[in-house]
Amino acid sequence: MTAPALLVATGITKQFGGILALDHVSLDVAAGEAVGVVGPNGAGKTTLFNCLFGLDDPDEGSVVFDGRSIDRLPVWKRSRLGIGRTFQRMELFEGMTVADHLLVAEQAASGTFRIWRDLLHRGGPTPAELHHVEEVLGLLGLVELAGRPVDTLDLGHGRLVELGRAMMGRPRLLMLDEPSSGLDAEDTSRLARILGETRRSTGVAVVLVEHDLALVEATVDRLYVLNFGKVLASGGVDEVLADPEVRRAYLGTTA
Amino acid sequence: MSQFFNYAVPGVPFGCVFALMSVGLVLTYKASGVFNLAFGAQAFVSALAYVSLVQDGWPRWAATVIAVAVIGPVVGIVLDRLLFRRIRTASPLVKLVPSLGLLVALPQVALIIAGSTPTIPPPAIVGDAQRVYLHVGSVPISGLELSISVSTVVVVSVLVALFRFTPVGLEMRAVVESPRMTELAGINAGRVSAFAWILSSMMAALAGVLLSPLYSQLDPQNFTVLLVWGVAGAVIGRFSSLPLALLGGLGLGVAQQVVAGYLPAGVIANGLRPSLPFVVLLVFLPLARQRQVADPLAGCDPPSSAVERGTTGYRSASTLATSEGSVHTVGLWHQRLEARPRGRMTGLLARRPTATFSWVAAVVAVASALTWVPPDWLLTMNQGVAFAVIFLSLTLLTGMSGQISLCQATFAGLGGFMAGQLANHFGLPVVLGMVAGGLLAGALGVLVAVPTLRLAGLPLALATLAFALLADNILFPNSWIGNGASGVTVPRPSAGPVSFAAAKPFFVLSLGVLAVAAGIVKLVGDGTLGRYLSAVRGSELAANSVGIDVYRLRVLVFALSAALAGVGGALFGSLEGSLSANDFGYQISAVLLVVVAIVGLGSITGAVVAGVVYTTLQVAVTSLPARFAGLVAVLFGLATLSYTRHPEGFLDVLSGRVQSVVAERRARRLEGGPTGSGPRPALPGVGATKDADPVAEGAG
Repeated sequence: MTAPALLVATGITKQFGGILALDHVSLDVAAGEAVGVVGPNGAGKTTLFNCLFGLDDPDEGSVVFDGRSIDRLPVWKRSRLGIGRTFQRMELFEGMTVADHLLVAEQAASGTFRIWRDLLHRGGPTPAELHHVEEVLGLLGLVELAGRPVDTLDLGHGRLVELGRAMMGRPRLLMLDEPSSGLDAEDTSRLARILGETRRSTGVAVVLVEHDLALVEATVDRLYVLNFGKVLASGGVDEVLADPEVRRAYLGTTA
Repeated sequence: MSQFFNYAVPGVPFGCVFALMSVGLVLTYKASGVFNLAFGAQAFVSALAYVSLVQDGWPRWAATVIAVAVIGPVVGIVLDRLLFRRIRTASPLVKLVPSLGLLVALPQVALIIAGSTPTIPPPAIVGDAQRVYLHVGSVPISGLELSISVSTVVVVSVLVALFRFTPVGLEMRAVVESPRMTELAGINAGRVSAFAWILSSMMAALAGVLLSPLYSQLDPQNFTVLLVWGVAGAVIGRFSSLPLALLGGLGLGVAQQVVAGYLPAGVIANGLRPSLPFVVLLVFLPLARQRQVADPLAGCDPPSSAVERGTTGYRSASTLATSEGSVHTVGLWHQRLEARPRGRMTGLLARRPTATFSWVAAVVAVASALTWVPPDWLLTMNQGVAFAVIFLSLTLLTGMSGQISLCQATFAGLGGFMAGQLANHFGLPVVLGMVAGGLLAGALGVLVAVPTLRLAGLPLALATLAFALLADNILFPNSWIGNGASGVTVPRPSAGPVSFAAAKPFFVLSLGVLAVAAGIVKLVGDGTLGRYLSAVRGSELAANSVGIDVYRLRVLVFALSAALAGVGGALFGSLEGSLSANDFGYQISAVLLVVVAIVGLGSITGAVVAGVVYTTLQVAVTSLPARFAGLVAVLFGLATLSYTRHPEGFLDVLSGRVQSVVAERRARRLEGGPTGSGPRPALPGVGATKDADPVAEGAG
C-alpha cells in the first residue's frame, strides 16, 4: 500500500446479549482510498460503522484515525477530527432548509461554541462559510433546492443532503451507510457520479456499506465481505467477488 | 431487625397502592405509547365518586363497584378515544402536555360534576377501618390495611391469570411488543389497546379508592403525590416490566415508612420521605433508557404527519433562504438583512400582519398601564410581565432545545428567595439580588442538568419533576432558602435616587427586565446557537455526527433557562413583596408548561401572551364565584384537548388564519386590477336589464 493508513481498526468485537455481532473485525483505509463493506443482512456492517464512529462502544479492539487512537472520543469529536457519516435510515434536521443543513454542519465543524460572538452579533454566517456552503451545493447539484425545507425533498435528494452535510467539515474520511437504499436506478447512478466527482475534487477517503453491487464496483478500490460478524474475505473487488465462499454466503450458490 | 419489621409492615398498604399505580402506568405506556400522568387525576375522580356515593347512603361495596368498575374505565376510555389514541406516535412534548393538563383540570371538572366535596372522612371499602383484625409479628393490622393488601393481591392475581392464560392477554403482550406487527397478524391492535386502557384505568380507580381512607380528607394534591410514587415504581420497572413495576411500587411503600421510622423527626426526615422518588428516578432512569426496545417495524414507518413530527419548536429567523428557493445563498443572506420590515406601514401590514398587530397591542397596553388603568389591573399586568419572563425560559428550553422541564417554577422560586434573602440578611440591593437569584438558579440548573441531561424526552421530564419535588420538601422549607410557610419578603428595588417602589415605576422596570430577557432569547434563537438547537431538535444523532457537542449544548441551555426563570421569580417576588413555597410548588411547573405549550412555544410573543393569559386566569379563579372558577378549569381542560390538534399553539393557528386571509385579499386585489374581472356571467333567468351592478355595467 502506497498511501499512509488513515483509519486502522483492529480486532473490533461487539456482543449484544447472546449475539456476537462483530468478532475480531479488522479493517484499514488508506488516505484517499475507497473501501467497500458488503455482506448479507445482519452481518454486522452497521454495527461496525457504529463502533468506528463512536455510537457503539466495542467490547474489544481499537480504532486509530490518522495515527491517533480515537477509542475514547465521543461522536462529535470524531466528527471534528475529520470523519463524516451518513445513515442508513436518513437522519435529517426536520424543518430546516437544505442550505441550513450544510451551514449548521459547516459552523459546527469549525470548532468552538462561539456563545459570546453569537450573542453579540447575531451569529450571522461569515462569507467564507457561505461560500463553502455554495461550493458543496454546486458539487451536489442542489443549488436549485437550497431554500427548500428538507421535509419536502424526495428520498434521492434527501440522501444527497446527508452526503453534503457530512462533507461540510472537509472530512478526510466519509462513512456512507447504504446510501442507495430506497433509491431507484436513476438516483443511484446520479449518486455514483456525484460520489466520483467528490472524490476527485476533494480526495476524501470513503468507506461504503452497500448492497447495490453496481454502485460498489463503480466506487471502491477494495472490498471487505462480512458474514456473521467475521471478515469472510478482503481484497480487490473482482477477486473478492469471484471467491466461491463469498458467492455462497452473499450472492447465493446458483451463480 | 424487629424494629425494621415494625417500620416495614405498615408500609405494605402504601406499597400496594403505589404498585397498582405503577403497574397501570406501565400497562398503558406499553399498550398505547403514552405515559399517562393523568392517572393521578383518574384515581381522584374514582375516589371522589366512591366517597360521594357512600355519603349518599350507598353500601360501600356498591360504591366501590361503581367507582372502580364503571367510572374508572369509562373515564379511561373517553380519554383514550378523545385524546391519547391520536398522539400515540407524537413527540414526547405533545404526549406529555395533554396528560399534565388533565392532571390539573380533571379533578376540578369532577368536583363541579359532584357539586360539592364530600365532608365525611373516606371509609375503607370493607370491614372496620380502625379495628385490629390480626397481628403480623407484633404489628397490629387494621381493617383498612388488610382491605388494601387483600384487594391488591386479588387484582394482581387476576391480572397475572389474564396475561398468562387468556387469548386477550396474549394479544396484549403482542401489542406491547409491536402494535403494527400485531395488526399484520390480523389482530385489531386498537381494540386490544382499548382493553389495556380499561384495565389500567380500573387499577388507577382502585388505587384511588383504596388510598382515600389513608387521609382524613379528599384532596387532589394527595393523588398527585400518589402519582409521583407510581411513576417512580414504573421507572423501577423500566417502563416495560409489569412484575418489576409491581415490586418497585411495593418496595417504595415499605421504604418510605422505614426511612421515616429510622430518621429522627425534623425537617430533613419529613422532607426526605417525599423526596425518595427523586433518588429513585435519578438512579433508575438511566437504566430505563437503555432498555427501551425499538419497534421492529419502526423502519417501515410512513412519513409522519406534522403533529407527529412535533414541529412545535421555536422558528428561528435565521433560516437562510426563502421557500421560493435561492440561487446564491450569500446574496440571499444580505437580501434578508435588507428586507427587514422597515417599510411603509401598509407594506408592513401586508407582509407581517400579526407581528404588526402584536406590536400595536403591546404599545397600547403599556400606554394604558402608565396612564388610566386602575391599580389592581396594573398589578395583574405586572404579574403577567413577570410570568412572561418565566415563560420565556420555557420558550428557550422547550421551544428551541426540545427539552421538557417540570421544575421551571422551582428555579423561579429559588431565584426569588435568593433575591429576598440577600436583601434581608446582607442588604444587597434587590436589582443585584435579582441577578444573583438568576445566577443561583442557573448554577442549580447546571447541577440538575449534569446528571439528568443524558436523558431526553419523557425520562428527563420525570427527573425534573422529581427534582421539583425534592426542592419543595427539602430546599423550600429551609429557613435560609424558602423559609417554609411563612415565606420570604422581597423588597421593591431602588437604584440610587430612583425608587421603583411605586406601581408604575416598578412596571417600567419589569418591562425592562422582560425586554432584556426577550433580547437574550431572540439572540440565542436567531444565531448560530439557535441553528444548532434546531438541528438537535431535528435529529440528535445527526447533530452529534456533524460535530455538535449535544450534551454541552443542552447543559448550557438548561442553565440559561433556569437563570431566566430565576430572574422572573425574583421579579415576581419583588412585585408581590413576599414569596412563599406555595407560589412556586411543583404543580405550578406543570401548569406553566401546559399554558405556554397551548399558547405557543414557537415565539417570544407566545411567552408574553402566555404570561397575560396565565395571570388573567388566576384573577378569574380568585375573583369569580366558586362555581365559575371551576369553569376556568373546564376551559383549561378543553384547551388541553385542542392542543393535540394544534401542537404549534393557538397563537400560530391564529396568525396563520390572519395571514391566509390577508394573502387571499391581496391575491384578489391583484386579480381585480385594471385588466382583471371580465363581465359577470349572467345567470339564466336573471335579466341583464335588471342588473344595476356598476361593475357589470362598466365591464359590459
